[in-house]
Amino acid sequence: MKRILDIGHNDLRLFFKSKSAYIWLFAMPLAFVYFMGFANRGPGDPSNRRPPVLVENNDTNFLGRALLDELDTQGMWLLDPTNRESAARMIRIPEDFSRRVMAGEQSKVGFFKRDGSAKSDAMLIEVRLVRALIAMNSHLLEAAAQTDNAPESITEEQLREVMKKPNPVALDAKFAGRKPVPSGFAFSLPGNLVLYLLMNLMIFGGASVAAERRNGVIRRLMVHPVTNLELVMGKIYGLMLLGAVQIGFFLVVGKLVLGVNLGANVPAVTLTLLVLAWVGGSLGVLVGSVFASEDRVVGLCVLVSLLMGALGGCWWPLEIAPPTLQKIALFLPTGWALKGLHQLISFGSGFGPAVIPLIVLLVFGLSANLLAARFFRS
Amino acid sequence: MSLLRVQGLFKAFAAIRAVDSVSFEVRPGEVYGLLGPNGAGKTTTISMISGLLKPDAGEVVVAGTPFWSDPQKAKRIMGVVPQELAIYEELTGRENLEFWGRMAGLSSGDAKSRATELLEALTLTDRAKDVVKTYSGGMKRRINLGCALLHRPQLLLLDEPTVGIDPQARLNILEFIRSLRASGTAILYTTHYLEEAETLCHRIGIIDHGRLLAEGTLKELQERLGGDRLFVLEADLKEAAPESWDGFLSRFRVIQKTERQLVVSALGARDPSECLKDLLGLPVRVENVTLKRPSLNDVFLQLTGRELRE
Ligand SMILES: Nc1ncnc2c1ncn2[C@@H]1O[C@H](COP(=O)(O)OP(=O)(O)OP(=O)(O)O)[C@@H](O)[C@H]1O
Ligand SMILES: [Mg+2]
Repeated sequence: MKRILDIGHNDLRLFFKSKSAYIWLFAMPLAFVYFMGFANRGPGDPSNRRPPVLVENNDTNFLGRALLDELDTQGMWLLDPTNRESAARMIRIPEDFSRRVMAGEQSKVGFFKRDGSAKSDAMLIEVRLVRALIAMNSHLLEAAAQTDNAPESITEEQLREVMKKPNPVALDAKFAGRKPVPSGFAFSLPGNLVLYLLMNLMIFGGASVAAERRNGVIRRLMVHPVTNLELVMGKIYGLMLLGAVQIGFFLVVGKLVLGVNLGANVPAVTLTLLVLAWVGGSLGVLVGSVFASEDRVVGLCVLVSLLMGALGGCWWPLEIAPPTLQKIALFLPTGWALKGLHQLISFGSGFGPAVIPLIVLLVFGLSANLLAARFFRS
Repeated sequence: MSLLRVQGLFKAFAAIRAVDSVSFEVRPGEVYGLLGPNGAGKTTTISMISGLLKPDAGEVVVAGTPFWSDPQKAKRIMGVVPQELAIYEELTGRENLEFWGRMAGLSSGDAKSRATELLEALTLTDRAKDVVKTYSGGMKRRINLGCALLHRPQLLLLDEPTVGIDPQARLNILEFIRSLRASGTAILYTTHYLEEAETLCHRIGIIDHGRLLAEGTLKELQERLGGDRLFVLEADLKEAAPESWDGFLSRFRVIQKTERQLVVSALGARDPSECLKDLLGLPVRVENVTLKRPSLNDVFLQLTGRELRE
């Protein structure tokens, strides 16, 4: 046991002697988290997004403002015309809005589609617009009742008073039948962390085992009173320590710098990632034991980890991938790791739904570890 | 009792008999030299003794216990210095020593204090904090040697520990090994340098093509050639056939014969001047005859028909 720890700690020290380690472990994945987070962003909570709407309020009285507040309450992100580029839809409130409504006449609020906007956003906006209008009407009716059914005499104060009251019946409309898609840093952080964790541990593990087989260090270790299993476990333990450093760095940076909400169960997130580190480290030792040339080992590790990352959903959410790809992901540790992480981070679920992915990952880890022990040689 | 006994060791790689029925013993305080050219089977022998390779046949007994009946026990007794520089180039000399000490079973504290002692003994104290990558070839060899010594092994296996370094650095290492010998360590020393075998080793085994051809002290090996002097004839020997010379082979043993040179030793206790007279009377035109003490090279020459060049 002591030798396992000694070997692991020594390897960790060696990994950090190479300057390129810092680029591979921290700089590069961080850059990808950052840029992919922007490319794939959606404002707000991914399970209840606030789609952006461009607003043109031409009303001269207070009802226009009240309608805008109601739209905000219903979960719309109101943009003023300077930000028109990012809007999915546009709402125009006419100048006679207050006058006509107070007079009991119908007023037409304009609702326009903008070219190239996402369908799902548009649907969400329509639903919320309808809800806002219904709410507006009921507020007006309630306020009118207080003024002895003289709608034309409602004041802004009275209406605001009514709007402040909690709804007796609350309607919470979200996407039904389908999970929301993780987005922004909440997607790019776990995605890139899973990819680079696997890639780095495979490369570092594979290259160091291949190099130490070449220069005789593994043979030298073997003439010491250390069993082969202790040696393999020491190597994998060292790689898991390296993984732990990377995991710690990204969770802290993700939370404190990028402001990713890691969900309520950070220990479960960490545990899932550590088990993935076990898988990656074991695969690295396996590849380094089977192939002799370091170049081939590194090439193979990059290829395998990129494939597993892409097919496992590290680059794009599997929710939007074709069913075949979703099935392939079921055979990959990356797919299961992301399944668990998205549950914990994006869908805010407790530990429960992350247990199955964790168990599957443990099976991957155990298999890879056994194979590494089986094929380990000098 | 011998610390290491090797009995009928055999290892083949496909058609190559890398080690073929090798047997010898190494006793405490003794340096046993395994002398042989490239590919003779030295490293393969050491690999089998240290458990890196399982012999196809034969047995390795360490301190009375067969190696494979308790490998971990045997490994605790021995220190192995590999032929290649198997050390961490990115770590300092001290870090290397301490790490390998912990691998040999020392506590961190013991490893530290032993590392300090060894750095001193190997005259590396002032470079202890530099990474090994920046060391000279000789310094790397010394660290490579030191890394096997932290647990004070009773049995030390050295695989060509001076290969590829300058004479001064080599002398340093040999001096250091003599001090280990003096402290009672049993040492198996492989080399293809004649001079090292002659000056360092108590007993020498000559190995070639996997076979141990002869074994003994330097004196014993020299006596195999018949006495303590050799005669070197220079002549035109292209057509010469010593076996047809009348009675020649009953009086002399041919060590080597080339087109220009004939090396022989006298059989039986005969006077050198008489031998010289014999040689001058041979049916060839002798240009020169010299006398010399037989070297290990001559022994090797006689055993293999080839020279073991440095
Ligand atoms: N793993 C192996 N596979 C195949 N052949 C091998 C292997 N190891 C050694 N040999 C062969 O066995 C023979 C003995 O090799 P060995 O390394 O023991 O020689 P050596 O005496 O140590 O030589 P050197 O002085 O060059 O180190 C050589 O012919 C070598 O090619
Ligand atoms: Mg060798």
